[in-house]
Amino acid sequence: MSNAAMSGPDTGSEAQPTLHLLNKAPSHPRFPVCLGSVGPEDHLLLIENAVVALTDNSVTLPPRTSAMMPDCQARGLADLVGSTVDLVTPAGMVALTDRFQRIISW
Amino acid sequence: MALPERNNEGFLENAWQWDKATAEVIAAESGISLTDDHWEIIGLLREFYKQHEMSPPSNRLFVKAVKEILGEDKGNSIYLMQLFPGTPAKTACRIAGLPRPTNCL
Amino acid sequence: MADRDRTGTLLIVIDNPPYGDWRGREALDMALSMAAFDQPVALLFRGEGVNWLRVRQKGAAIHQKTVSRNLGAARMFGVADIFADQGAMARFGIDQTEPGAELINADADFYNRFREVIQP
Repeated sequence: MSNAAMSGPDTGSEAQPTLHLLNKAPSHPRFPVCLGSVGPEDHLLLIENAVVALTDNSVTLPPRTSAMMPDCQARGLADLVGSTVDLVTPAGMVALTDRFQRIISW
Repeated sequence: MALPERNNEGFLENAWQWDKATAEVIAAESGISLTDDHWEIIGLLREFYKQHEMSPPSNRLFVKAVKEILGEDKGNSIYLMQLFPGTPAKTACRIAGLPRPTNCL
Repeated sequence: MADRDRTGTLLIVIDNPPYGDWRGREALDMALSMAAFDQPVALLFRGEGVNWLRVRQKGAAIHQKTVSRNLGAARMFGVADIFADQGAMARFGIDQTEPGAELINADADFYNRFREVIQP
């Protein structure tokens, strides 16, 4: 995970690290728009329908990507992707949102 | 005895809190005294729920499921109505501790 | 499957992923209702819909019923066939399904075998 978000409340500076919360599947028009908006210091958290992107070979996810663990478990993905992506518990999600000044919910 | 929590139609809120004593009490509410024939169908429904995490959605599909598993002698609406009067799927699911069949009015 | 006559069968297509909304469950419900009245009906999973068929799902993790388990009752209730588009299966890396499904190419030729096709 990135330490970029720990650099303090840099309020007002142009490129603040952003946490992107994405709950749309790859076929949803907002999915590519979201991926196109994730900057190099940003973090992407996949929730609900978006977690199917983890095994979609037509999608390239940003390097800093996590996924909601219960959503992955429900869909039979947790064992498959657990070694390649951070799986976040609901408590972990709260901690993650605390680390970012900016959050975009897609 | 204290029954597990139920909804306003008498169906258990949590199918896993069911036991045989619960079934006896719920059946008695409908004036049914459970026999081996009843227990056979109740066992079938419990197994169905374990496999499929749902009740047969309608009375027709309940009859169909019984027919698939136990054959035509028992998988017909007359036999099931004799055992579980009213709407058999509803009565049987209530006694077996399953959720209310979604398409039974 | 090519030789079996499906000209009288209704094909219901599910192309959205499971759990995110109720659309797919409504489609399954429709299929079961048709089967209850002995209307010939089949299901096709394509696109993101193939995720319905993935093994080791655990709906309880998000307080829902496991869709693959629900789907497992379809054949007993008289749904004639469960099809999965093989391109979509490859795209999502699914090589094992629950319940079993017949792999096909969901192209125009395939759709033409059915009396009616609906994509709820």
